[in-house]
Amino acid sequence: MLGNDYQLSQQVTYRGMIWLLAAQLVVMLPFAFYLPIWLIPVMLASAYWRIRVLKGDSAQPKLVVRLLVIALGIAGVLLSGMTLLSLDTMVSMLLLGFAFKSLEAISQRDALVVVFIGFFLVAISFLFSQSIPAGAYGVFSMIVLTGALIANQQSPAQQMSQYSTRSSLKMASVMLLQCVPLMVLVFIFMPRFSPLWSIPAFESHAKTGITDSMAPGDIANLSKSDELAFRASFKGRLPKADELYWRGLVLNNFDGKNWQQLPEEYDTSELKSQLQNNMAWNDANVDVQGEPFEYEVIYEKTGQPWLFTLTPTTKVDGKTIRFGDYRVMSRGDIQSPLMVNAVSYPDAKRDLELSDYARSLALQLPARGDEKTRELAKSLRKNSTNDSEYVEKILNRFTEQSYFYSLRPPLLGDQNTIDKFLFESKKGFCSHYSGSFVFMMRAAGIPARIVVGYLGGEWNENGDYMAIRQYDAHAWAEVWLEGEGWKRVDPTSRVAPSRVEGGLEAAVEYEGSFLEGNPFSAHNFKWLDGIREKMDSIQYGWRRWILGYDSESQTNLLKSILDKMSSVPLAALIGALFLGIFLLWFVMLGLFRRQTYEAYEHQLYRKFCKRMEKLGVLREPQQTPYEFALIASEKLPAKAVAIRDFSSLYQQMCYVPNGAADRAKPHQKMRKLLRELS
Amino acid sequence: MVIIFLLFLVGINFQNSLVYIVCFWLIALLVINIFYTYRNLSGLTIKAISAEPCFAGEKMVLELEVSRPVKQRKSAIYFGWKNEDLVELNLQKEQSTRIKLSHSSDKRGRFSPPRIDIFTRFPTGLNTAWSYATMDIDGLVYPEPIEKKQGVDNQSSDDEASDGREILGGSSDFAGIREYQAGDSPKRIHWGQYAKTGDLYTKSFVDYESHDVWLDWQSLNISGTEPRLSHLSAMILAFHDSQRQFGLRIPGKEIPPNKGEAHKVRCLTALALYGLPQEKVA
Repeated sequence: MLGNDYQLSQQVTYRGMIWLLAAQLVVMLPFAFYLPIWLIPVMLASAYWRIRVLKGDSAQPKLVVRLLVIALGIAGVLLSGMTLLSLDTMVSMLLLGFAFKSLEAISQRDALVVVFIGFFLVAISFLFSQSIPAGAYGVFSMIVLTGALIANQQSPAQQMSQYSTRSSLKMASVMLLQCVPLMVLVFIFMPRFSPLWSIPAFESHAKTGITDSMAPGDIANLSKSDELAFRASFKGRLPKADELYWRGLVLNNFDGKNWQQLPEEYDTSELKSQLQNNMAWNDANVDVQGEPFEYEVIYEKTGQPWLFTLTPTTKVDGKTIRFGDYRVMSRGDIQSPLMVNAVSYPDAKRDLELSDYARSLALQLPARGDEKTRELAKSLRKNSTNDSEYVEKILNRFTEQSYFYSLRPPLLGDQNTIDKFLFESKKGFCSHYSGSFVFMMRAAGIPARIVVGYLGGEWNENGDYMAIRQYDAHAWAEVWLEGEGWKRVDPTSRVAPSRVEGGLEAAVEYEGSFLEGNPFSAHNFKWLDGIREKMDSIQYGWRRWILGYDSESQTNLLKSILDKMSSVPLAALIGALFLGIFLLWFVMLGLFRRQTYEAYEHQLYRKFCKRMEKLGVLREPQQTPYEFALIASEKLPAKAVAIRDFSSLYQQMCYVPNGAADRAKPHQKMRKLLRELS
Repeated sequence: MVIIFLLFLVGINFQNSLVYIVCFWLIALLVINIFYTYRNLSGLTIKAISAEPCFAGEKMVLELEVSRPVKQRKSAIYFGWKNEDLVELNLQKEQSTRIKLSHSSDKRGRFSPPRIDIFTRFPTGLNTAWSYATMDIDGLVYPEPIEKKQGVDNQSSDDEASDGREILGGSSDFAGIREYQAGDSPKRIHWGQYAKTGDLYTKSFVDYESHDVWLDWQSLNISGTEPRLSHLSAMILAFHDSQRQFGLRIPGKEIPPNKGEAHKVRCLTALALYGLPQEKVA
């Protein structure tokens, strides 16, 4: 390409460098939330160094110095307690290189490299956070980066002008804005592929939400958070409040104080293989009855694999896996919002035959402890005719005796926690009730287990979707009854029916412990509810349509379009859209401009000159129309009159103001004279 | 670009919509950038203003007037020839501007600058838009002034003293005193003499009519056309600098003695065009 042949002596100018450094800072700031914060001072230090070099206060660092600095930086990253080959380390290294790049960015080419690494980092930052503010900040970063790109192309003189910064930013914004239609088009239609290779995992950033074991108090902690857990929208019929039991994990094993999933502790992949080996999903175990719920859930990032669905989930898409205890898990930890479509039949009967493995898990009890409860359970069972009646008796006992639902229960110590709760404190929340209930079931020989998840959810204004927040976390129980299979029992609902109907807020209204310790939560300000809901719907749209747009949504969209038109017109339509965008750009950039700004008399004069040229009289650029008329009429005496008339008319017209009304007639005259000349 | 491809891979592997968006946005940016770069170049009107005469081996300076369309500002457009000159042009507030480009010349005669490369990388430096402009203008290249030693003595055909004929009643050089005559300017009265003798004497001055030096092709003791022209060119400059009057005689052309800038240009032009087809002389 031409231009590449030229050795443009383009060094990064002072202002260009300032732009680059500013852009670097903008790009690196958000990483301070996730990665070692000392990267920012490192960047600032190298920026300061670079500016000193530019001002001539300090010399360009030598290669040895640069290598040393880089080695120090790498050592710093490794010493910050990050594992080698994790994504965090790689990103930190990239940031480090980015920060140091400014030290040796000398040519325009280097500037280009800095800016493009910047773009790359903007994208990488979205691996850490995909919230709306992060997105908005990303757009801002892109504008600054593009501005830096533009500023570096400006000539030094232009850079010095006082509007340079603003005009670069403005131009960058306009360019990026004009790019949006094409970007959207590509975004919608670009085929999506499945991951090409397994990706290095993030180091566990704070995991949120429900954990894989339950000690008394865990869920109470969650109840202090109004953070969003997930959102769900339903197609077809909507569930009632007492049907919104979002199943997450199943806890089988009790050690006297804590509940955990299986007798041994496993990490996620071991747990999956354990469940897959002993409790694989089997369609045959579900006896489908009643009407289904069809719904779509968008899970927030939790860093954990738990998904929450209504039980039993007969159909679920995406990268998910179901197990025989009716839980659904994501194949990997949820590092970015995940959208899942599912179908559940709440009235279905599950596991009419109980496997030995499941039965043994569901009957496990610690060898000793809580003797009073065991005795009570045995005696109550003896007085009941069957298991169902026994279940009912236990539940009634919670209602009849004065048990309270409280988020501020007294501490129960390490031993005989069930005894202490049932006979002494009688104050607790879902984990206490479900724990003691399951314990009493097992003590009477009835298979039972704890299910942890969320209960309820809050419909948004329009009722399109419901938001389930951390304070909706809940634990309930399941018992296995002959002929009925697994049956959900929620002992908490007996103590505090309002927990089911009105959510946690209603259940603890009397003691005012809702969102305790989180006084600034928007939920504590009723008058903010409208705004909160608005923001929530915007966020939902963001999750649903932007973050959740994957190959599946793409296929669905294409399918729905293809239903209306066949593939050939569709391809034509897409082509036309692309063409339309290009045309739009042409118009917006004013590229369809051909002398249209010229007044009519100038256009006529141009024609006149062309005609004269044909007749052999060429107008030199420096000749005035008057001089030219003289020369031309001398050379073409036959047409001298017309030439002189035309020229004088033209000269007169040049001084007639543009808006004047009497311009049409002279124009006509000029045209006539022009005809005579040909 | 590599970065975009990398981003696409990241987008695929992390299934991250926002990474895709950044990636596609960059692609769109690259595409629109083509339009922008093209626009930055398009619509320019270039007029050749002048090509300043120069001596062979020197740079010829071409002056161009570049104007932009009313509504489009132009930044960082380069004009130039490879290995010659490169000029950056910005048209922000002003509608048009003049730039000077220089191109080396090697032969005397009429020189038409080759087509000018015009290119720009604005706004992002990712693409180059380029164009060529051939200007319908030519400039004169005078023979390179090289003085030849052996030619010095034979420069003039007149054998008069180098100071030329005296013109009496001049005003520059003091020539002596004479008796006062009525009408002599009192300024010229030699008051010293009057004090000594009591008679009035007038100082008289002469001017020298620069002798009609002829720079004559025929009398040059130099072989070859170009060396002769070069020598004449050098002599013209020398005479011009010392403000002497001279004439030029070359085969087919004779320029009567005169002096001044216009005369110099006339003579040099004659040298430059010696032996060349004349049709272009306007």
